[in-house]
Amino acid sequence: MNHWIIAPVVLPAIVAALMVTLLRGHLALQRMASLAAILALNAVALALIWSAATNGPEAYFLGDWPAPFGITLMLDRLSALMVALLALLALISALYAIGSGWDAKGAHFHPLLMFLLMGIGGAFLTGDAFNLFVFFEVLLIASYGLMIHGGGSARTRAGIQYIAFNLVASSLFLFALALLYGVTGTLNMADLALKLPALPEGDTALLRVAAVMLILVFAIKGALVPLQFWLPGTYANAPGVVAAMFAVMTKIGAYAAIRFGTLVFPPDLPATGTVLVDLLRPAALVTLAVGAIGVLGAATLPRLAAFAGIASTGTVFVAISAFTPATVSAALYYTLHSTLATAALFLVADLVARRRAHVRLVDPAPIAQSGLIAALYMAAAIALAGMPPLSGFIGKLLILDAFRDQAPLVWTAILVSSFLMILGFARAGSQLFWKPAETDIAPDAPGPEPLAFAATFALLAALVALTVFAGPVTEALTTTAAGLFDAQAYIAANGLGATP
Amino acid sequence: MSLALIVALPFLGAAIPGVAIHAGRNAAAILTGAITALALLLLLSHAPAVLRGELVQTRIDWLPALGLNATFFLDGLGLLFAGMILGIGLLIILYARFYLAKSDPMGQFYSYLLLFQGAMVGIVLSDNILLLLIFWELTSLSSFLLIGYWKHLPEGRQGARMALAVTGGGGLAMIAGMLILGNITGSYDLTVILQNKDLIQASPWYLPALILILLGAFTKSAQFPFHFWLPHAMAAPTPVSAYLHSATMVKAGLFLMARMWPVLAGTPEWFWIVATTGLVTMVMAAKIAFFKDDLKALLAFSTVSHLGLITMLLGFGTKAAATVAVFHIINHATFKAALFMSAGIVDHEAHTRDLSRLGGLRTLMPITFGIVTLASLSMAGIPPLNGFLSKELMLEEAAHTTWLTPWAMGLLATIGAAFSVAYSFRFLAHGFLGPVRDDYPHKPHDPGFGLWAAPAFLALLVVLIGLFPMLTAEWLVDVAAGAVTGEPVAVKIKHWHGLDTPALWMSLAAIGGGLLLLGSYPRLRAIWDAAPRPEAKRIFDGLIEPLATLARSVTEGLHNGNFGRALTLAVLTIAGVALWAFLGGAHAAGTRALLPIDPVVTGIWAVMLVAAAATPFLHRNRVTALLLTGIVGLLIAPLFVLFSAPDLALTQISVEVVTVLLMLLALHFLPKETPAESPVPRRVRDAAVAGIAGLGIGGLAYAIMTRQPAFDPISAFHLAQSKPGAGGTNAVNTIIVDFRGYDTYGEIIVLGIAALVIFALSETLLRNPEVTRLLATRPRDRESGDRHPMMLVVATRLLLPMAMLVGVYIYLRGHNMPGGGFVAGLVFAIAYLMQYMASGYEWSHARQRYDHHALIGWGVLVASLAGVGAWFFGLPFLTSGYEYVSLWPLEKFELATAAIFDLGVFLCVLGAVLLTLASLSRLALRTGERANTHAYDTEGGR
Amino acid sequence: MEALVAIAIGVLTAVGLYLMLRLRTFPVILGLTFLSYAVNLFIFVSGRLAENAAPIIGSSETYADPLPQALALTAIVISFGMTAVIMIMAIGGHLSSGHDRIDLGDDA
Repeated sequence: MNHWIIAPVVLPAIVAALMVTLLRGHLALQRMASLAAILALNAVALALIWSAATNGPEAYFLGDWPAPFGITLMLDRLSALMVALLALLALISALYAIGSGWDAKGAHFHPLLMFLLMGIGGAFLTGDAFNLFVFFEVLLIASYGLMIHGGGSARTRAGIQYIAFNLVASSLFLFALALLYGVTGTLNMADLALKLPALPEGDTALLRVAAVMLILVFAIKGALVPLQFWLPGTYANAPGVVAAMFAVMTKIGAYAAIRFGTLVFPPDLPATGTVLVDLLRPAALVTLAVGAIGVLGAATLPRLAAFAGIASTGTVFVAISAFTPATVSAALYYTLHSTLATAALFLVADLVARRRAHVRLVDPAPIAQSGLIAALYMAAAIALAGMPPLSGFIGKLLILDAFRDQAPLVWTAILVSSFLMILGFARAGSQLFWKPAETDIAPDAPGPEPLAFAATFALLAALVALTVFAGPVTEALTTTAAGLFDAQAYIAANGLGATP
Repeated sequence: MSLALIVALPFLGAAIPGVAIHAGRNAAAILTGAITALALLLLLSHAPAVLRGELVQTRIDWLPALGLNATFFLDGLGLLFAGMILGIGLLIILYARFYLAKSDPMGQFYSYLLLFQGAMVGIVLSDNILLLLIFWELTSLSSFLLIGYWKHLPEGRQGARMALAVTGGGGLAMIAGMLILGNITGSYDLTVILQNKDLIQASPWYLPALILILLGAFTKSAQFPFHFWLPHAMAAPTPVSAYLHSATMVKAGLFLMARMWPVLAGTPEWFWIVATTGLVTMVMAAKIAFFKDDLKALLAFSTVSHLGLITMLLGFGTKAAATVAVFHIINHATFKAALFMSAGIVDHEAHTRDLSRLGGLRTLMPITFGIVTLASLSMAGIPPLNGFLSKELMLEEAAHTTWLTPWAMGLLATIGAAFSVAYSFRFLAHGFLGPVRDDYPHKPHDPGFGLWAAPAFLALLVVLIGLFPMLTAEWLVDVAAGAVTGEPVAVKIKHWHGLDTPALWMSLAAIGGGLLLLGSYPRLRAIWDAAPRPEAKRIFDGLIEPLATLARSVTEGLHNGNFGRALTLAVLTIAGVALWAFLGGAHAAGTRALLPIDPVVTGIWAVMLVAAAATPFLHRNRVTALLLTGIVGLLIAPLFVLFSAPDLALTQISVEVVTVLLMLLALHFLPKETPAESPVPRRVRDAAVAGIAGLGIGGLAYAIMTRQPAFDPISAFHLAQSKPGAGGTNAVNTIIVDFRGYDTYGEIIVLGIAALVIFALSETLLRNPEVTRLLATRPRDRESGDRHPMMLVVATRLLLPMAMLVGVYIYLRGHNMPGGGFVAGLVFAIAYLMQYMASGYEWSHARQRYDHHALIGWGVLVASLAGVGAWFFGLPFLTSGYEYVSLWPLEKFELATAAIFDLGVFLCVLGAVLLTLASLSRLALRTGERANTHAYDTEGGR
Repeated sequence: MEALVAIAIGVLTAVGLYLMLRLRTFPVILGLTFLSYAVNLFIFVSGRLAENAAPIIGSSETYADPLPQALALTAIVISFGMTAVIMIMAIGGHLSSGHDRIDLGDDA
């Protein structure tokens, strides 16, 4: 019984509870508690990666009820990896929030951050379809609070749309789950994987509807076209550090799509067949295009970052949508890369926004400490446009290589979108950092903020590491992807099916 | 290892100048030079081996899974190019030290230069085409920085962007081409690929690969029609131009064609594409160069022209031509770099590069004049200088190549040569000869040694190679050409080939024609200026700018925050996809026995439906709409009861009450009316969209209700285990607090977070002076002016304790009967809400003794600890045990650890509702409300 | 009976979405409430309809499926929290911008 599996959920929850009870109103103490908790989370994440790599998939039966009757948490290489990614991003975001003073701009930043971590961690670790919904809601409501942190008219009103749209998504999620239960009578994902192959012919139509409804929920989280409209307004209006943290949230959609597409509705399941592929492939390609065009066309740097994020999820979903080990492992590499890269760009955008008279790209305005920020911007831009030498290039090579058989379509989409993004980033960059300003009304520079800059550097350093150690990383990801397509091990870990 | 080190050195050193500049410009220059020199020495240490015909290799595994490895190899071609890059790099570093102004950030310049240098060396030493691609795009990026170095100049910014767009874009095409090559040969290692000529040329993917790779090469080497970026890159400081456009960046394309020559060349496709492009570029650019007044522009187009010449030679596909190409690469690098630097010197001294404002510099700048004379004569191909040797050989090859007709190639090559003679002489004549003028922007004179040393050295090479080609260049040409053609080469370079060689007469014709052109320059110039010609930059901007504008309007137009459109699209998408998925599968009608129509249910159902259906029509009056909503919500409860879900009914009622009450309070801050904004067609459309969704969901619900589950529902286990396993007779409650207690754990935390968010937002609002002003001055609503009805006030006072008792009871019985911590919490909360409704914000606010945050926090803590407790029994999170307790006067009940968990639920729910309430009150207290301040402030109260 | 319930669910969904397509925040929130009614009913009926079969052990011989009831409970609570949050945000939006339009317009 490996209690560490529940730690990424319980630890932040308890710390958050302590923050609102004992530490309420003591920002300094909350910051310490926050960092301590996140550091612990990082340690736990590493332990989980090690455990998953050595012991294979492992279940945690909550309430000691056997699957599928209770709720099971499932630790496997993928969930461990995602938790680790979350923990790393959380550490950097927390440092930035502290360094930039964002967390002092309103109440309850750190408790909400803790709850966000709890929700995301729970979503990555759960092995139960309905419980996934519950933790989606936990992370969402925490994200609502973080998104409107600091207030302001535009931000609050963008937040309303964000909530409203996600509530529709949640309703869709519930319809899908109820449908799934109504047809199969079970909610445990391993149990579903075990039973669905035996589904009576007459129920396939309803199951397919449930399947696509679920995938569409994840598509909304991943902001796939035409369900992406909520994202730019939300991310561009959210506090920069929160937007950076949100970079992992679109990837939750990707994670869930991978999980359900490989475990519950694998391509070889007769009932659903290639329905996921047929649905996701075109959507993902269009998303990539919309994101790339957005990078070229966005009116402000935060919005540019948002569209770069859309393009990156588009790329990830393109890779996912083939549901083969090769493409999924490429997708995982690109997920790691694009999460960190998008976050970096959002942090840079925030550094700029707080040092510039306005956010518009046109009509230039001076930026305090522009030299250093320009360098950071260029690095982030290179990473997101998929230019060498950063991991974006390797990620794209991996995807292109994995799609040799559909070269004309996928290659064109990815390379052309890279071109558009190069144009967009170059234009925006020279507008922001090169074009001399007619006016010299710079806002009072918010000081050096060493911690904020260090956090941004840390993200780029992580990208460099991802590049240098691309060999071992991809090796691990290949094993991870291979494990995903071995549903039997996952099912057996739940104590279901033929006992190992 | 050391090969990798040669590539790594410039990158590692790139940081140094930025630091060293603090120790002065000399320090920065010297250190940069030292790094370059070190790399050059390392390179030369391998030269003997290469000249012996050996292949020096280094391999470091990086990404074996993909076949991307840090493998390098050094052959003749690599040696030639790396030598040029590093050697001329040294001269540029020296030159730049004295060229750049005090105001220019020199540390930055050298850093960029080293980055670029490293990328170039990487290209020419890579043994892995993916690695080569990385360095390839790195040159695009670093040259972007170099060209845009003078960021205050708009031409600089545009030139940099254009160069990046064209060369970077070409690089992307090349990625695809290289990947195809890799697919064909099964390896990304050049040394392997170069062995598979037949395999590649036989593949159906040969042509696509060829075109894609050539796109990369042509864009980089500024071949027609991608030549236009190069002249605009001239906005860069002259050292950059001299480096990028003589020896390095633009030669990368040539290098690639030479590198791939063994496997790609020799086919008709190759000949027609490459030779034709080269020919056209050579002639066209030479002609344009002739008419340019800006020295650097003239040199830029002459560079394009010479690149075309070399491309054409490679395109011929013959070993001899390839050898000549290699030779001309060397020669062009020497005289062109010298000329660029000289142009820079003129600019530096006379403060202009405009030929129309120059002339007569011969006497004023004798040294520069000498350098320029040698270099430009070499460029014109005048014997015995090195330019003559390679051009002679080129003309010879052209003369023997059939292109369309046997003579067309030779003729066009001669014309191109004639123009190159013409612009070379013009550079010399209009710049340096003629009378001394008195209207130079600045009185020119020869610069210090530091500035002319580098070009002078190159001019010396021009002469030496020209006089003793066999001694100075032949060996290098042999190994390099050998590497290109894949066979040992022993070229004989002579000045005199005899009278019977066509080349002789062609060069004579070229020189004669060139002088003729120069002689009639004024007339030709008049024609040229009169003639309309496409301006490349305008065409490029004409492509890019509309693209950007389009992207802007599409992006911002689509994502303009229009919620209705987003939602409509989403609903239609979901409906469409669901239908598509449904039709793709088989559907059998349900066989389940249906329930008979029950009159009571039908009655409730009818009322509920009427209320629901009425809402869209009456929704503009918000109070009415809210009441209708509440009615619908409340009527769902009896439905739950009748369909055997008492717990749901209880929860539904209590939640509904709280929701409606909160919404009423919220309405206090919002307009009471929704204006009629959407026109009828829009309403009809919305109704249709909503209707589609309704049909779909209703249909699905019916399909579910009328069929049996495909497999036995897992809930059978819950029913069976509710009492023995979880110790409760109420299966729903045991599921909530035990079987699926983890869901509940998340659920109450959602409530807690909701309250925190609400509190945080109200805090922020109150901190906003704008908002508080608005609050204080907003017109008092009629409702808020009312007095509290006496009855209600008294009733609520009595209600509170009763409600609490009920709450405790509901909490305790929850495990066995409908109820539980959640409902109990809500009952408590409702009691408070009633107080609040009855006696106003202030009174209730003043009486909220304990901190609601603490309630929520403790709720979460209690629930968490109830779960964690199990660990100490070696059991998983949220494992519960239970014991029977009889506590008079209550019925005998069992106390489960689940009850502790349920207590957490209770606290969290209560805290959440109360905190929400408190937050609203805090806002309300800021409104102009003056009524309802005193608790018994009832009608007739005063 | 099932048909009636199905119709009710459909109507509630449609009303909810129609209200959500209005241009002001308050109707949108009401719409969300209707939508959640529909969702909760839908979850509930995924356990099929049964009369006089409350899942209280010992209270009758056949029991309605308790699991969907529990799920619906969770869903009700969560949507309650969500409604409260979006409500206060509607207030915040209105107070800080002076109007309660749902579309973002310029400040997108």
